[in-house]
Amino acid sequence: MNFQKKHCVAMLLAGGQGSRLMVLTENTAKPAVPFGGKYRIIDFPLSNCVNSGIDTVGILTQYQPLELNEYIGNGQPWRLNRSHGGVQVLPPYAKSKKSEWYKGTANAIYQNIPFIERYDPDNVLILSGDHIYKMDYAAMLRHHIKMDADCTIAVRTVPLSEASRFGIMNTNEDGSIYEFEEKPKVPKSTNASMGIYIFKWSILKKFLIADEEDPESENDFGKNVIPALLNSGHKLFAYEFQGYWKDVGTINSLWEANMELLGENPEFNIYGEKGKRIYARNYAMPSTYIAKSSKNSNSFIAEGCEIYGSVTHSIISTGCIIEKEAIVEDSVIMPNVTIESGAIIRHAIIGEDCCICRGSVIGGAFAADEEKSISVVGKGKTIEANAAIKPGEIY
Amino acid sequence: MNTAMGIIFASIYDDNLGDLTNKRTMAAVPYGGRYRQIDFPLSNMTNSGIRHIGIITKHKHQSLMNHIGSGQEWDLDLEEGGLEFLTPFALDHNGLYRGKLDAINSAINFLTISNEEFVVLADSSVLCAIDFREVIENHIASEADVTVVVKDGISDGKKHIDMGIKLDESGKVKDIVVETNAKKEYLASMGIFVMRREKLIEAVKDCVAHDRYQFERDIVLHGFTEENRAVNACVFDGVVLYNESISEYYENTLALLDPKVRHGLFNRPNLTIYTKVRDEVPSSYGENSVIDNCLAADGCVLNGKAENTVFFRGAKLAETAVVRDSIIMQETVIGDGADLQYVILDKDVVVRPGKKLCGTKEHPIVLKRGEIV
Repeated sequence: MNFQKKHCVAMLLAGGQGSRLMVLTENTAKPAVPFGGKYRIIDFPLSNCVNSGIDTVGILTQYQPLELNEYIGNGQPWRLNRSHGGVQVLPPYAKSKKSEWYKGTANAIYQNIPFIERYDPDNVLILSGDHIYKMDYAAMLRHHIKMDADCTIAVRTVPLSEASRFGIMNTNEDGSIYEFEEKPKVPKSTNASMGIYIFKWSILKKFLIADEEDPESENDFGKNVIPALLNSGHKLFAYEFQGYWKDVGTINSLWEANMELLGENPEFNIYGEKGKRIYARNYAMPSTYIAKSSKNSNSFIAEGCEIYGSVTHSIISTGCIIEKEAIVEDSVIMPNVTIESGAIIRHAIIGEDCCICRGSVIGGAFAADEEKSISVVGKGKTIEANAAIKPGEIY
Repeated sequence: MNTAMGIIFASIYDDNLGDLTNKRTMAAVPYGGRYRQIDFPLSNMTNSGIRHIGIITKHKHQSLMNHIGSGQEWDLDLEEGGLEFLTPFALDHNGLYRGKLDAINSAINFLTISNEEFVVLADSSVLCAIDFREVIENHIASEADVTVVVKDGISDGKKHIDMGIKLDESGKVKDIVVETNAKKEYLASMGIFVMRREKLIEAVKDCVAHDRYQFERDIVLHGFTEENRAVNACVFDGVVLYNESISEYYENTLALLDPKVRHGLFNRPNLTIYTKVRDEVPSSYGENSVIDNCLAADGCVLNGKAENTVFFRGAKLAETAVVRDSIIMQETVIGDGADLQYVILDKDVVVRPGKKLCGTKEHPIVLKRGEIV
């Protein structure tokens, strides 16, 4: 087969278990977790790729890949069903001599060198599947080329007080990186790595092979590959990203990111012009019905819902039924959930396909400045009538 | 399994919907918040395993073609079969046809070069969720030449219907009338017909040779009374909506607020209605919005007050705007202080702040696509 040369190929690391999302990722890979009423987390990096003109994306899957693979399909919702390039799901596979799982982020790319080589790319963009943001990777790529960098790392400014939770890039005035510190106790700067890298492919390939030969290595980009490039005098540049970016790796951050879609001037503006939208696989659902008995305020409600109860400051995803006298406040309701009459849900995330039976109470109320303990009900669960899930309880 | 192909008439009744079909065909008229009327016959066909479909349009089909695209949403982007647009431009005599029969004749090649056994014909002004496999089985069992799908309770002596069929006690066709305000004992045709392909070609050629061009009158009625053609009526008992006038369109759109109608169209098992995907965000309901008994597709921003209204994708209602008993189509914007009742606002209409518009239930005000008031 004839493969067209690509200037840049994207590799999306989607194999993580997302164990800090607990019951929400029990049977689902983190990138397939629903977000914002009709999206899944992976829609964001995938849509960013397409909107940045990158049409060849390898998706590295490992943990619970069934749902994710099914969701991606042939890539049509993201216009990634191409004759040349397009989207390709890359699970680990058995080789003639040995078979192995992806041992780390770098090893996952190492195992897929043949996939990348088919496109003979000049650059490779490494992404992860657990962040909510809109970004023009093309602008970052232009910067990478302009600086003639071997590796460009996207960074964002974080408050100094939080800097010790991130990988921090210490840079010279021209943006070149002289030092990388993983979660430094005393941070020297506030440039936090976003886990988005562009490498010259020829350089990355060399380092991946070397990294693989090193038995001491954890085969991780942040811990091994980036420091190795830096220590051998290669040109690494930071690319500063401004705009909304959120790691949704924990229950609280996932809840917060959903809430940040709401309001008149939302922190994350998900709306976009043609060519800047976030794409998602759509299911054929009719328009949403809002009954006279309902009250909705400051909320997102997707298609295919029937709303008879009251919804305040919440995200209601595709295909949900909220019966009469049910109350949903400050919560994220994932797709195809039925909330029966009289049920009360506050500060909670309800996983897909759940049934919250009549009269049950989930979560609790918190003052505005109080630390919120989010209650979570995992995918496909049924909460019996008049049962209670306490604030912060994970069911 | 019996093989069938489909023909959908996209533009036979364009004149009936006035301004709504000013710049589009009947098939492309928006319906129910996120659909176009053709989504119904098209989804019914694909849900019934029909994978070879011709859409007959005569003009103004840009909007329709844009909607259907490659047919991917209906799984019709196929190598073998799939979708074909049958436009009059393909004709050698390039005349506009006078009726369905003329239209089929102009697309007769589409029939002759195919090899399916049966043809299902459907209109795009009659909306329902129906399994054509059951209709075809009914047709085969009846051993008739043509089967008409009919609905009880539509004729009332006042509504003009294309064709009415009276059945005897055993369910056999006793009488057929066309183009009339039939009495209620006549079941109304749903514009859905099944024939063997060879038989349809033969009947069409014969009619054309005799300068006959109306399907209902010349193939069904004339065939029944003059030529001993066996006509079978298959009675459908689900929800059916006839959008054959502006007032019917208005009534049938607001009828979706009734769960029986809504579920009868959209929630029938294995009869999902598909439509073109638009990547809209979920609809946003403002802090002080009061939305009562409404239907809303994705992408709406509803901050005001609305009652008994259907909002299409991307409609916007400002905080102090009020709308009641209305149909608000895609991307239409209603400004602050506007007060609307009994209106149909087509796509991309802008209602300026403070504007008041009030039609009546029988004669809703229709604003054309892109109008600014």
